[in-house]
Amino acid sequence: MTDYGHDLILGSFLTPTNADPAAVVGLARHAEDVGLDLVTFQDHPYQPAFLDAWTLMSYVAAVTERVRIAANVHNLPLRPPAVLARAAASLDLLSGGRVELGLGAGAFWDAIEAMGGTRLTPGQAVAALEEGIDVIRGLWDTTARDRLVTGGDHHHLDGAKRGPAPAHDMAIWVGALKPRMLRLVGRKADGWLPSLGYLGSLDALAAGNAVIDEAAVGAGRRPEDVRRLLNVGGRFGPPSDRFLQGSPAQWAEQLAAVTIEHGVSTYILASDDPTEIELFATEVGPALRDLVAAGRG
Amino acid sequence: MSGDLGHPLRLGLRVTPPDAATALAAARTAERLGYDLLVVAGLLDPWTVLTWVAARTERITVVAEPHDPPVAAVAARAVASLDRLAGGRVELALTGAGSRDALAVVRGLWDEAATGPLVVAGAHHAVRGAERGPAPTQGVPIWVAGDPALAGREADGWWGRVVPAGGLDDVPTATLDGAARAAGRDPREVRRLVVVPASGEDPVEDLARLVLDAGVSTIVLDTPDADQARRFAEESAPALRDRVARRRAAAGTATGPVVTRHRRERRRSGIDYDAVPAGLTVVEPGDPGYGRLRSTYLRGGAPGLVLRPGSAVEAAEALAWAGTQDVPLGIRSGGHGFSGRSTNDGGIVLDLGRLAGIEVLDEGERLVRVGAGARWGEVADALAPLGWAVTSGDSGGVGVGGLATAGGIGWFARSHGLTIDRVRAAEVVLPNGSVVRASATEHPDLFWALRGAGANVGVVTSLDLAAAEVGTIGWGRLVLDASDPAGLLRRWGAAVEAAPRDLTSFLLTGAQRRGEPATAQVFAVVDVEDPDVIVDRLQPLADVAPLLAQDVRLATYPEVVVPGGGPHAGRGEPVSRSSLVDHLDQDVADAAAALLRGGITPFFQIRSVGGAVADVAPEATAYAHRAAGFSVLGIGSSRSRLDPAWDRLHAHARGLYLSFETDPRPERLQDAFPPATLARLRDVKRRYDPAGVLRDNFPVG
Repeated sequence: MTDYGHDLILGSFLTPTNADPAAVVGLARHAEDVGLDLVTFQDHPYQPAFLDAWTLMSYVAAVTERVRIAANVHNLPLRPPAVLARAAASLDLLSGGRVELGLGAGAFWDAIEAMGGTRLTPGQAVAALEEGIDVIRGLWDTTARDRLVTGGDHHHLDGAKRGPAPAHDMAIWVGALKPRMLRLVGRKADGWLPSLGYLGSLDALAAGNAVIDEAAVGAGRRPEDVRRLLNVGGRFGPPSDRFLQGSPAQWAEQLAAVTIEHGVSTYILASDDPTEIELFATEVGPALRDLVAAGRG
Repeated sequence: MSGDLGHPLRLGLRVTPPDAATALAAARTAERLGYDLLVVAGLLDPWTVLTWVAARTERITVVAEPHDPPVAAVAARAVASLDRLAGGRVELALTGAGSRDALAVVRGLWDEAATGPLVVAGAHHAVRGAERGPAPTQGVPIWVAGDPALAGREADGWWGRVVPAGGLDDVPTATLDGAARAAGRDPREVRRLVVVPASGEDPVEDLARLVLDAGVSTIVLDTPDADQARRFAEESAPALRDRVARRRAAAGTATGPVVTRHRRERRRSGIDYDAVPAGLTVVEPGDPGYGRLRSTYLRGGAPGLVLRPGSAVEAAEALAWAGTQDVPLGIRSGGHGFSGRSTNDGGIVLDLGRLAGIEVLDEGERLVRVGAGARWGEVADALAPLGWAVTSGDSGGVGVGGLATAGGIGWFARSHGLTIDRVRAAEVVLPNGSVVRASATEHPDLFWALRGAGANVGVVTSLDLAAAEVGTIGWGRLVLDASDPAGLLRRWGAAVEAAPRDLTSFLLTGAQRRGEPATAQVFAVVDVEDPDVIVDRLQPLADVAPLLAQDVRLATYPEVVVPGGGPHAGRGEPVSRSSLVDHLDQDVADAAAALLRGGITPFFQIRSVGGAVADVAPEATAYAHRAAGFSVLGIGSSRSRLDPAWDRLHAHARGLYLSFETDPRPERLQDAFPPATLARLRDVKRRYDPAGVLRDNFPVG
């Protein structure tokens, strides 16, 4: 049992298809209207059928009032961290502190290279992500008076002017699956954001948590400094014994068990169906919060 | 070219917002004051700020200060995305050592018509096989600052910074003109933008000289002072516009659009582009938005010109002119057609998509007027609140005009008849350029031909349709075991024929996946509200084979014909065959089963007809096969495989439904129209389209 005690956040994971941009923006507003806390978008800049994630996030932030916005997750090889840091801080300032930063090391290297990015080995990609996080946090730190010198082989700043700082203490959530990335999450990140589909099973959550917790403690942090997020998908329908294939009440029970058991406190639903999004917000959410509150006693 | 280039004069404001509140306030102020362009610079990330601004303003165009984007390919996608999100209103300005590479990358990624992935081996920006697209829909000008030779050669405009007094010498007119000409461009293709500091002096005289003597057309005032921005907009701008307008009128300066090199190079032979009727909206292969218009639902296309009339009168002008061009001519309403070539390669497409109005003419008669370019899903949406519906096809994305002039075998076929049976009158554009109204009493022969063979005799721009009262309906989807396909078809056919007319059912199956049980889906609409009656109607269908799954519910018509939007991206040519059969008897069922077993048709659909369809006399409309009980459609991937197998099925057919037929063999015309119908149709064709302008969809002439 590892519950880190974070408050629950429910979010939506929308496909940023560019064929009908108004539909994507409409779904984001719908997610806000039905009461979700967070709207996220995948970031695959090499995919010509998708809207540019950063542009879409900025646009959605401008036409919403309350909901938080993040990428799920940014493709760091095509989003130079110094630029991303300033863009994220700017949007956080514009939106009144509603932006969080989802980061990934990159996976589809042929496509990344085709777009002008540099192909990295898995090990280099992890190192680049770590340098990227240092660059981003350094640029945001306007309390430091000196110019910023940080980074390494992949992202290097030598005397950069700092700022702007975000409006709020922006979280850095990292999409990670393998041990090297998980250890980086434990050392440096504010959140772990895997997809259940890629993890394969709930057991993998326990294994990942253990690696992150150990790395966090090793770096002088506490395990609860790292929020545990999870992208999930499923179907609403008649009750069944399968995970997230049943009634909203059943979803709530299953997710509450994951929170109590594995400490996941943010569930992000991969769905572009307005009815599913509404059920998730209005029926799963309240029941889940009640169950978790009761379980935490 | 020194002197005035005749471009429309635009005024901009450059802002460097220090914080979020200032950014939005500055943008709103600029928009309210009538500025055309907002240039965003400063500490906050300009792209983020201008996206935010675009989302919260209505009219003003936004551009980030000239920059060298960190990843040019990502910048291309970002700009195209904002163009789509904000409906245009975005521009791109490049500068620095990488601007040549960045320009090549951005232009290359936006060129959806080019074949193969993009490779740009630049020293500053390199892409190595990136997928192209999307293109901005509105055309995004790319400015280049700091390199007038590059701007003249390749960009849409040159961006500079001058002081109004004496600024003439700072505009590199000779370099711009020389580079443009050397690259085969008209110097007028390259617009000129200057950023000017605000000063205490009245700038109108100096700015007018920049426009009239140095070809500048966008003037951006650089000031953080809201009061100066207001004074410039309220005092200087009107005086400047007035002075420029008067001077242009006096000098007779050409101010029309320029045929750019890009546009010219993509034109096709055989089309006299210069003779297109003035005022008509056209989209050429070199124009933004072409990628969304070139293809249809089922066909890839590369027309040389798309004409998009905004009224029947314009459609008439367009058709009359298109008839003088010796290239293929496609008529498009929604672009779903199988038989009609509503796109082509190098020809003209008359696209009726802008004629999409839906208006109620008479509540008592439930009479509605619908533009030919509307989609049936939109019609269903518009009529549902009134408790009305017009039977259409099985998909909401289908356009009104094509379906309502060919037949229209939809979800209320047995209860309401064909879509053409709901047509009371039509506004028709004739190849001679006239616009006429056809009804039972006006051009009755034309009205007869329009209902079943409309594509032969005219271009319908709107239809007056009699809607039926339709409220809550029953909707069912049954998944049935199809391991005995012939038996399944026979029993389903018999059950449908035995059912009351309030039931209409479609059956869908196709080549089965290896190792999986063969299944068929039976869909049915029951035009009653009572759930018990609905279940009674569906039960006989569920009994024709083992039932594997079912979904039965109360629905509305718009839920059944879901509106399909978005541009089409068909590729290649569809291969489909159609047969109209009276009954699904043993011969038909056996031939169909053989076809299915052969794995030739991944999509095999049968729609019930009969009922109200058969109430209309065969000679009453050009759709003559009223006695047919079923419309059978097969889509294949190979014509040489589909045709022989289908011919064996078709031997038992009464005829075919032309909207689903793609077989080019001449005997198909006799299948579509029985002899008496064909003879009358040829007579009508001779009178209304004597020159055979309409020849790309089952021509009878």
